[in-house]
Amino acid sequence: MASVPSKLYSDDVSLVMVLLDTNPFFWTTSSLPFSQFLAQVLAFLNSMLLLNQLNQVVVIATGYNSCDYIYDSSSAPNHSSEDARLPALYSNLLQKLEEFMIRDEKLGKEEPRGKLASSLLSGSLSMALCYIQRVFRSGPLHPQPRILCLQGSPDGPEQYVAVMNAIFSAQRSMVPIDSCYVGAHNSAFLQQASYITGGVYVKPQHLDGLFQYLVTVFATDLHSRSFLQLPRPAGVDFRASCFCHKMTIDMGYICSVCLSIFCKHHKKCSTCGSVFGQAQSDNTSASDRKRKAPET
Amino acid sequence: MPQVRIIAKNFMDMVASLPTMKLDKLYTNPFICQAILRSLPPLAKKYVLEMLYIDGPVSAKMLEEWVLTDGSSKHRVAVDRLIQLRIFSETVDRKKESSYKLNTTFQINLRKHLTDREVLPREPMPPNIVARLSSSEELEAYALGQWECFLLQLINSTQAEKPTNFSSSMMKIFQRGLLSQRDKEAPRLTESGFQFLLMDTNAQLWYIIREYISNSEERDIDSADLISFLLELSFHITGEAYNMNTLTEIERHMIKDLADLGLVKLQQGRKESWFIPTKLATNLSVSLTDSSSRKQGFVVVETNFRMYAYSTSKLHCEILRLFSRVEYQLPNLIVGAITKESLYNAFENGITAEQIISFLQQNAHPRVAERIPTVPENVTDQIRLWESDLNRVEMTPAHFYDEFPSRDVFEAACDFAREWSGLLWEDSKKMRMVVKAEIHMQMREFLRGQK
Repeated sequence: MASVPSKLYSDDVSLVMVLLDTNPFFWTTSSLPFSQFLAQVLAFLNSMLLLNQLNQVVVIATGYNSCDYIYDSSSAPNHSSEDARLPALYSNLLQKLEEFMIRDEKLGKEEPRGKLASSLLSGSLSMALCYIQRVFRSGPLHPQPRILCLQGSPDGPEQYVAVMNAIFSAQRSMVPIDSCYVGAHNSAFLQQASYITGGVYVKPQHLDGLFQYLVTVFATDLHSRSFLQLPRPAGVDFRASCFCHKMTIDMGYICSVCLSIFCKHHKKCSTCGSVFGQAQSDNTSASDRKRKAPET
Repeated sequence: MPQVRIIAKNFMDMVASLPTMKLDKLYTNPFICQAILRSLPPLAKKYVLEMLYIDGPVSAKMLEEWVLTDGSSKHRVAVDRLIQLRIFSETVDRKKESSYKLNTTFQINLRKHLTDREVLPREPMPPNIVARLSSSEELEAYALGQWECFLLQLINSTQAEKPTNFSSSMMKIFQRGLLSQRDKEAPRLTESGFQFLLMDTNAQLWYIIREYISNSEERDIDSADLISFLLELSFHITGEAYNMNTLTEIERHMIKDLADLGLVKLQQGRKESWFIPTKLATNLSVSLTDSSSRKQGFVVVETNFRMYAYSTSKLHCEILRLFSRVEYQLPNLIVGAITKESLYNAFENGITAEQIISFLQQNAHPRVAERIPTVPENVTDQIRLWESDLNRVEMTPAHFYDEFPSRDVFEAACDFAREWSGLLWEDSKKMRMVVKAEIHMQMREFLRGQK
């Protein structure tokens, strides 16, 4: 049985979908300059490719208005001729990233600036999942996929439903979502995403050493994770956003039919159309109506 | 006869067993650093990556803190491997706390890889000089054809069409351990020979290359040079032409042998000659870690023990013949039946049921590969049953004791044997017992003490 034990090692072949936050509104306020951030991430991507010849890295830029694939190691030409100083990965990626940023900025001009400068996480998550689905269908031999969110922008409550849907479909297809949050406050979306899908959520304390965080925690393949101690979540913010005003709420009303969440009482569910009965909320005490749906 | 173990992964052991000087010399080549990193177990890779930008030593405790209790054996394996390959150097300080440090040359080379533009081992030749490059399909067909031809010759089949350029003495070395020849009899495949044939191409390739390298030492060629050239070769781009003039004397000599194995294709232009690496060559460093085959299977096994193999290869036919009765052959199809007789034949030759089953599973035709199980259960069960039929009698070397002076001595002896869990049989009436051969010495000591 010569070939069977060695087969175990093919488990560490991984496909890493990296979601790169390129939201300009965040990076202008961040303590870590974008160029430094990118330099460390690029070194990380290169080291992923170094680890195994069959490893695959796909980078998706998460912009303010749009998101797009900016790098795919499986389809990238091996050697760039223009810029001889940089590895092929870097020059290809940087060029695509620049094009993306310009496109993203153009899209934004028509729109007035929103109150919250969140990036389009739901979009890039969905794109990553689509890509992974395609890999799953490509045949019985495929690398083990996982998603890594490199996010800095605050959560956009208006994306709540879309992000949650993406998280649940990742959970269903057993794709862990790792998240490395470089912003000021913890991100409830990413905490929940990693918690539900069995990924790792890390908010680095020292942003200068981002590369070390990336290679120590996020370079670990899924096979090795089963016998390593990776950072555990200290606490997960499970708060939801209401469907009507997209606000993050602690308490609210839930439709008993479709589980939609509302911050105040409605006559009819806006999602499934169920008609709610008269709320007894007026005559009962406030504590009774907490987190309960009005009877239909 | 020297026991030759057929394990594909042993190549890295060979690298590890190189003397310090040679190993350090190997690490000056960035490609070898990369290939060796890729060959490490996953956990070891992770440790190297973590410590890539740490200049000082890292205490062993810190590494261990990451490991869960049930992963500690993997941790040991990983660290041992790293020390063996001299990637880690272990230092023990006064408090007996050990710490590890990365090999500096290795570290610098890998760091360079992360930040600088990767340099090719050698530049491909411009397309205007090279007349016409073969397409990737042609190249692959060439490589596989060449390899198959070599294998057929190796197993001394009469089917081989054209002989390779390997001298017969070289061939003998490859065959050592795979074939055994008794006087005036046709050579027969040994047990490991069968195992070898059932392995996938990459594993076979490494086995041959290992033999080749160990043989080269006898011819006074530095094995480190060969290893570094082979690993370097795996970083060339498939299908590109490289000038022969860039090779050293030894390499030029070696590349002819590699061409016979199908690793490279040699071509002659008007003025210059060049070599084109094939997939076999560029997959070399992959196969160090991953010997599971990634090629398409061809065998369909039905519940009625019939076997259909969609293959034109004579080698496949030869392999199938090892454990089945080939009934007829069409241009692209071999039809056979797995019978009791054919399997007994295989078992007699030392091939095991598990090997046959795993061969059938690994080479399953894509149509059946998706199904679970890929090989019908009744067939796999029957193969195992037929094998266990042959193993109904188990042999244990043993010693027989009788004529005990008294019943007490007999009983004490029985208890003693039981304690060592070596008692196989006892007859208390006639005071006779049979004890495993391993504890015969202890038993003798014990009985002497009783007297």
